[in-house]
Amino acid sequence: MILALTIGVLVTGAVYLLLQRDFLRVVLGFVLLSHAINLLLFSSGGINRRTEPLGGGPPSTDTADPLPQAFVLTAIVIAFAITIYLLALAVTGRPRTPQDRPPEPAPPEQPAAETGTTTTGTDRTGEPTEPQEVTR
Amino acid sequence: MSLILVLLLVAGLVPLVPVLTRLVGRQAGWLLGAGLLLAAVLLTRVGPGSGTISESVAWMPTVDVSLRLRLDGLSMLFALLVLGIGAVIMVYSTSYLTGRRPTGFYALMTGFAAAMLLLVLADDLVVLWVAWELTTVCSYLLIARSGPNAGGPATRTLLVTVAGGLSLLGAVAVVAAKTGTTDLTAALAHPSWSGDPLFAGTVAALVAVAAMTKAAQFPFHSWLADAMVAPAPVSAYLHAAAMVKAGIYLLMVFAGAASHSPLWPVLLVSVGLLTALLGGLFALQRHDMKELLAYSTVSQLGLLVAVIGIGTTEAMLAASVHVVAHALFKSAAFMHVGLMERRIGTRDLRRLRGLGRSMPWAATMIALAAASMAGILPTLGFISKELIFEALLGAPAAAAIGWLAALVATVGAVLTMAYSARLILTILPGPAPAARPWRETASMSAAISLTALAGAGFGIAAWLLTDLVAAAAAGTAGTTVDQVGSLYLWHGFSVPLLLSVAAITAGVLLTVWRGPADRLLDRRLFPGSGVRAVQALHDGTIAVGRRVGAATRTDAPAAHLAVPVALLGSAGLGVLAIWPGWPTTMRPHAIDVGLLVVLVVGVVTVVRARVRLTAVIAAGVVGFSVAVWFFVLGASDVALTQLLVEILTVVIMVLVLRRMRPHFAPVRARRTILAAGVALAAGTTATLTTLAFTGHRPLSPAGEYFLREAPGLTGGTNIVNTILVDFRALDTLGELVVLAVGALAVTALLTANPPAADNPLTAARNPLSDPLRNAVFLTVLDRLLVPLMLLGSLYALLRGHTAPGGGFIAALVGACALALAYLSAAANRSGLLHRPYLAIAGSGIVVAVGTGLLGLFDASFLRPLHAELLGVKLTTALIFDVGVYLAVFGVILAALRLLGTPSADLPGGPARNHPRQPRTAQRAEVREAEGAVS
Repeated sequence: MILALTIGVLVTGAVYLLLQRDFLRVVLGFVLLSHAINLLLFSSGGINRRTEPLGGGPPSTDTADPLPQAFVLTAIVIAFAITIYLLALAVTGRPRTPQDRPPEPAPPEQPAAETGTTTTGTDRTGEPTEPQEVTR
Repeated sequence: MSLILVLLLVAGLVPLVPVLTRLVGRQAGWLLGAGLLLAAVLLTRVGPGSGTISESVAWMPTVDVSLRLRLDGLSMLFALLVLGIGAVIMVYSTSYLTGRRPTGFYALMTGFAAAMLLLVLADDLVVLWVAWELTTVCSYLLIARSGPNAGGPATRTLLVTVAGGLSLLGAVAVVAAKTGTTDLTAALAHPSWSGDPLFAGTVAALVAVAAMTKAAQFPFHSWLADAMVAPAPVSAYLHAAAMVKAGIYLLMVFAGAASHSPLWPVLLVSVGLLTALLGGLFALQRHDMKELLAYSTVSQLGLLVAVIGIGTTEAMLAASVHVVAHALFKSAAFMHVGLMERRIGTRDLRRLRGLGRSMPWAATMIALAAASMAGILPTLGFISKELIFEALLGAPAAAAIGWLAALVATVGAVLTMAYSARLILTILPGPAPAARPWRETASMSAAISLTALAGAGFGIAAWLLTDLVAAAAAGTAGTTVDQVGSLYLWHGFSVPLLLSVAAITAGVLLTVWRGPADRLLDRRLFPGSGVRAVQALHDGTIAVGRRVGAATRTDAPAAHLAVPVALLGSAGLGVLAIWPGWPTTMRPHAIDVGLLVVLVVGVVTVVRARVRLTAVIAAGVVGFSVAVWFFVLGASDVALTQLLVEILTVVIMVLVLRRMRPHFAPVRARRTILAAGVALAAGTTATLTTLAFTGHRPLSPAGEYFLREAPGLTGGTNIVNTILVDFRALDTLGELVVLAVGALAVTALLTANPPAADNPLTAARNPLSDPLRNAVFLTVLDRLLVPLMLLGSLYALLRGHTAPGGGFIAALVGACALALAYLSAAANRSGLLHRPYLAIAGSGIVVAVGTGLLGLFDASFLRPLHAELLGVKLTTALIFDVGVYLAVFGVILAALRLLGTPSADLPGGPARNHPRQPRTAQRAEVREAEGAVS
């Protein structure tokens, strides 16, 4: 019951953040979502048997299911690798919004052929976007 | 000598091609031709006349798919054509080709021959289909590489023939599902062909469509003329023995079974005769010799398809003979076109004149080929045409239909006679043109002469062919060889002869009056052309795709993420339909409630934070409480992993934060409300889903198995670790690959697109920005802590099999040590990070795969080996865990190194990309910064 509520809270926060414009928030949303999914995966093994699956002998009625644990363990590491990738995306290319742009001397223009095409237009939110480089 | 060895011999020539062309260049064609010829000879040794030989090599035994091969009369006929014509064309190519080392051409041609051989020998539906697609791919590549303008025709050819391939796949699936076997012979003998009209009709239609695309039947005929961009040897092979004949072969294989459906003869005869007429008309319109011949193929194949549709023994005999005749005269004609291209420099009929004087031998040969094409006594083409007329007249349906079909075929023969005569009468007479010297044309001439003379010679000595074609016809029509008549040049005065004479006379008349005929024909017969239709279809598909893509083309993440969230959310509503009731135990544990409270506070803070650092810290709080959750739930390994990952996530996020503004941009109220609405709905769905799926079942059987058996089987007592490195090591290996690819992706991303520079605003406002003074305790502590942590990391790795620990956790501990050392370093360039991170991540995979290969010594890939040394249990699973360690460590190291170093120091960073900012200046800046710090 409480675990279900926890997952619900995590998903709520995650989805809210995923729908934001700022990329760091999107990344944080992804992190929260991965927590939620890991817990959900875990709960599939049952959450009332809580003794660690260590040692030999026949399983007692209280031993936790080791299979979801193994799944979740690797899932955590994979999600971590994806988080790293998303974070790298967050700081590459030209800044998305004027707020993100450092007042530093702007990095010198790169030839368009290397960095991709320049697009202008409005996105789904209806907010006009400035010309920005689409990284391929 | 078995069939599979012959097949391997031909396929084995393909990897030999680069060696041969390196040694002897263009002349490799001689050796390849000899190889194909050898295969043909071996096949005749294997096949004892009319008997059938079957072989089978297990391929996918669980789904009853085997590399079944069969050599019967029909296969023998086509296999000899494929290999024989292939050998001749290889020889021809030695003087036709211009490149010094035509490796690609020879490799593809040999591959084409191998694919065709597999097709005609296949006795398994799946193998048949695979070979079918291989011929498609080979022909596509051969056409596509033949020049700058070949892209369009090659793509259109591929589109049409692949569509046919899909149709054949459909037929294969239906037959395999209905008959329960993929064995071709068994499937074709299944009783449901006669018992289930719907089944027979479906398969007949699918097979017919597949064959008609390959054999260029109306309305799929356009690709064959389109494919004329290919060089002459390719065209000759496509038309004579390989591509289009695959369609004919397929029809003949399925004829016996599919003719149980009344659809089969109707479809084949009507489409075939229509194509024969249209192809003949189109051929008369063309002035390009190659195009004329291409439409001639369309027309001739139309006759073949029609006669196969008749399906009697006589019809099959006619089809078999005509396949041989057509292969001979068409390959000769196409190779002759190649010779014209080389010697005269054109293949336009309006410019080719006087061949009779300048090249009398070549002229005689093309005249012989044309005579066979037109069906003039005493060539093989005459015999096959007589047989076709006879077969059509003997159609089993009704005499009237037979007469109608024969008359239509006669009109087709008139057209054939007309364009053949036009071809010869145009190019032979007149003053001799200036023929270019073209290196050695001996092998070209020899190849043309061989096929042309064979076409004529088999007419006179028809009995030589009788055994071969009779076996093929008998097998296809389901009769014995004795019931198949022999081949005679002279059939006596009969109706077919009458039709033949009529056709030749009319054709000659049409040639004599070619002025009026041209005026009549020199117009568009149809409002559109097949080529244009295929191109329009092709362009239309791409345009529709572009339009679909445009509807979702935006770079706002929310637009992309909202759709899956909403869809998943609505899918979650389905839970209500299968709601199993509330979980059995609802009484909450006290600690759970506490964790929930901490977590809610964390999530709310992340969501509401205005400052980036606050959001990151709050996310860390959430992560830590999730780690405690795992611990409470009895998963110390998972909890440890989560804890360490959380630490490292915070470290890397802080590295990223330096490059951003300290505050989030303000968000509009509309977005907040919308997002909150979606988020609440998603959260509610998630809660209900979790409730529906938890607490309703005991320990899973898999989990129980692992708990019971793992200690005994693996010698490890940490069950989770044994699952990772023993039982499900292949999964783990896959994850390692994902990790290494992650490291690679981050590297590629940051190397190609250097990260934004540090934001001075963040640095200035940050009270922690003076590294030396702030890190003084940490620096001192480090000297003790880092070695200890590395030791702990090693310890965790070693004990992982029996107690909480293992490769994942150990690597994370090691990475934490590294992060600590990095954070406490005085300057932001730590020598600790200068490691070959990609090599480390890659070596992890190498170690893991290597360990897996060790398992092959015992039983299977990735099976751990156990040994006991001095009372200590050793297992290769530990080495596998070292691979895990390296891969995880590599990806984190990559992140720390690439995000933690100033952009200027990165490989491919601004310093290298922009000469305006020389590297020395950057170094000076760094030195300055370091100087200020100290």
